[in-house]
Amino acid sequence: MAVATPPAVTPAGTERLDRLERMWESRPGILGWLTTTDHKRIGLLYFWATLVFFGAGGIEALMMRTQLAEPNNNLIGPATYDELFSMHGITMIFLFIIPMTTGAFGNYLLPLMIGARDMAFPRMNALSFWIFVSSGIFLYIALFIGVAPNAGWYNYVPLSGSQYDPGRNIDVYCLGIILNGISSTLTAAQFIVTIFKSRAPGMSLNRLPLFCYAMFAAAVGLLFALPSLTIDTIFLFLDRNIGTHFFQPAHGGSTLLWQTLFWFFGHPEVYILIVPAFGIATSIIPAFTQRKLVGFPLVAIAEVLVIVIGFGVFSHHMYATGLPTVGLIFFAAATAMVVIPSTIQVFSWLMSLITGTPRYRTPLLFIGGFIFMFVIGGLSGMMFVAIPLDQATTHTYFILAHFHYIIFGAAVFPIFGGMYYWFPKVTGKMYFERPGQISFWVLFVGTNLLFFPMHIVGLLGMPRRDYTYPSGLGWGAYNLAETIGGYITLVGILMLLGNLVVSYLRGEEAGPDPFHGGTLEWTIPSPPPDYNFAVIPKVRSAYPNWDGDAAETTRRLNQGVLVLEQGHEQVETTVADGFLSDVVTMPHSSPWPILLAFFLAMVVLFLTLGKFGVAGIMGILCLLALFGWHSQEPADE
Amino acid sequence: MTAAAFPRRPSLPAAWWGMVMLICSETVLFACMIATYFYFRFRSPIWPQGGVSPPELISTLVPALCLATTSVPMQLAAFAARAGRLAWTRLYVVAALIVQCGYLGFEIRDYNNQQNAVDITHNAYTSIYFTLLGADHGHVVIGALFSFWLLWKLSKGLNRYRTNATLAIAWYWHFANLATLAVVGTLLSARV
Repeated sequence: MAVATPPAVTPAGTERLDRLERMWESRPGILGWLTTTDHKRIGLLYFWATLVFFGAGGIEALMMRTQLAEPNNNLIGPATYDELFSMHGITMIFLFIIPMTTGAFGNYLLPLMIGARDMAFPRMNALSFWIFVSSGIFLYIALFIGVAPNAGWYNYVPLSGSQYDPGRNIDVYCLGIILNGISSTLTAAQFIVTIFKSRAPGMSLNRLPLFCYAMFAAAVGLLFALPSLTIDTIFLFLDRNIGTHFFQPAHGGSTLLWQTLFWFFGHPEVYILIVPAFGIATSIIPAFTQRKLVGFPLVAIAEVLVIVIGFGVFSHHMYATGLPTVGLIFFAAATAMVVIPSTIQVFSWLMSLITGTPRYRTPLLFIGGFIFMFVIGGLSGMMFVAIPLDQATTHTYFILAHFHYIIFGAAVFPIFGGMYYWFPKVTGKMYFERPGQISFWVLFVGTNLLFFPMHIVGLLGMPRRDYTYPSGLGWGAYNLAETIGGYITLVGILMLLGNLVVSYLRGEEAGPDPFHGGTLEWTIPSPPPDYNFAVIPKVRSAYPNWDGDAAETTRRLNQGVLVLEQGHEQVETTVADGFLSDVVTMPHSSPWPILLAFFLAMVVLFLTLGKFGVAGIMGILCLLALFGWHSQEPADE
Repeated sequence: MTAAAFPRRPSLPAAWWGMVMLICSETVLFACMIATYFYFRFRSPIWPQGGVSPPELISTLVPALCLATTSVPMQLAAFAARAGRLAWTRLYVVAALIVQCGYLGFEIRDYNNQQNAVDITHNAYTSIYFTLLGADHGHVVIGALFSFWLLWKLSKGLNRYRTNATLAIAWYWHFANLATLAVVGTLLSARV
């Protein structure tokens, strides 16, 4: 079987490797990290940044759960509680899950899986990261100075209008979300073009790994869904600051417009959160069952279909707003339809486990937990096809239980599984298996104890977003159980992170391919060299590491076929068939992305402060930064 | 020896795909604004709301049609760049830019005149009217900046990077022109 070692057989091959090393070497020190365009470094930067935001969002969740542990609790006042649940939602969605799955996992792994040396637009990739960090810092500075968003992550008008929320809180929301949206749009464009153009020769679309299909589907979702939210927030900002009337019925506007535009983004967003997690599952299951995933083409189609149908589902968030009956039925039908591609995937995962030879190591345990919780969350989601049930449970903890099973169970569990699975690839060290398995069980118990009772209190009528509740309603015991579950989940997360930190310091050498995974990242050393692949691979199947091409790779290195050691280069291929079409020079590290992101953040800051003139000057500096950016041109081949 | 052992097939460059991604995103942006316009219209008993008169046909449509014609020289510029004809590339970009800047000058003056007659804060109709128009003009400004930058780049000659840039910017103009026609069509629908 193909276990790759650095192919350095002949002196000529070694010489080529040395040249590649020099050509692709990252700049050392902090400056190297600030100016990096290497997708692996950017992926790691995303990882650490999103982990910090995950910690912040988790602390907010635990503060809320502590407040709700008993009836009539006054630990946290209503105003602070408003900011906490708003920032918790915004953080977990915009600052943790999307940037963790696409930014961290996607950035690090996508080029490695398609046999590329970097993303299609490396500087844009860096820009995307620095804008993302700016948006997070912007929102959290607002929290610390008491002007954080406080009308929930979906920020309904008229509550978020200047009449009912006159402070700067909602302006921070609008501009922070726009800034974050720019980052996600850049990432989405980057992923699609990279998948279309930067695949290794031979990787036709039917050989594209399912992880990449998932990233592609999420990117398409982001690209087409985000503008709706951007427009919505621009309208709200204009209403609040310029005096327009988009959301004011008295002047011909409509409050429902906000919800319509928001959920046109918001529901695809849910699939954008979980589809990359599907991609992680479809990577882990073949590695730990040692078989190709059952129904590969069906799963690929299903991953994309989930996103496509997701665009036709959005109004099921608005059943209680008085939509016409025809509309309700249409969106109920669309909600039912999305079950089909989801179920195809569930059966594919299960059949792969049944027909393969599963090794229940930690990553696969997390995928098992993910499937369990995804099915529960999916079943409660299916209930919303019954419109009266949806109307009855809207704004209760039942909804909260449903989407936390989906978002935590179906998105975060695979993230945890992925952390274990690719940890040896990223660090070169093996994690400790037994503590890993214990961390899974602690997290599994804690998460279910945290979220399952929410179904019950929801059906008992407990409304979400209230900072406290009276005693005597039978909600107290369930809430206490949820709070205990929250703290157990915290322990599980700390065990997981602790395991990874100790493994990094004291773990055994992992080697290039400890799990015998099927995709290309397992053909190269761990951690990957700066140039990723000594030889641009020639792909023959969807699981190229199982094709046994290591000897051929060495031969090509010695002969210098597609080594591209003469420049900072990578290949471009045709979109459908993966034929070689070009060799292009890639940019080196650059200061412009971080500078541009800084000026853009300043634009947002001064707009929030109402200093439009200064914001304009910062906008001009953005243009100058772009000018500087493009003053460097790649050399012709 | 690099990629010589592998046969090559021509395909569109990543730069073009990058521009297509921008166009997709911006198309949804305009679609959302246009949907908002009709959302208000279909919920409003009188359109335009509040006795505001609809936009004039000739002064709205003719400049937009003039702008749309610039797609032709921009596409010719892309062809000329691919053929390595630098002088023709510059000429086509300059020809398009003259019309584009003329359009922009006229529209900025017209926008201010309209704003003086009835303000963006008048009602929901004027809010979406001026926002749509402003967004469209913003895209023309960005296109003009692209074209000026391209001319500066072309002053140093042609290479693959600048050829790809010409192609991508031509496509941006195709999009901006179509967006302008869509916006103008939407706004003029108030006359129907």
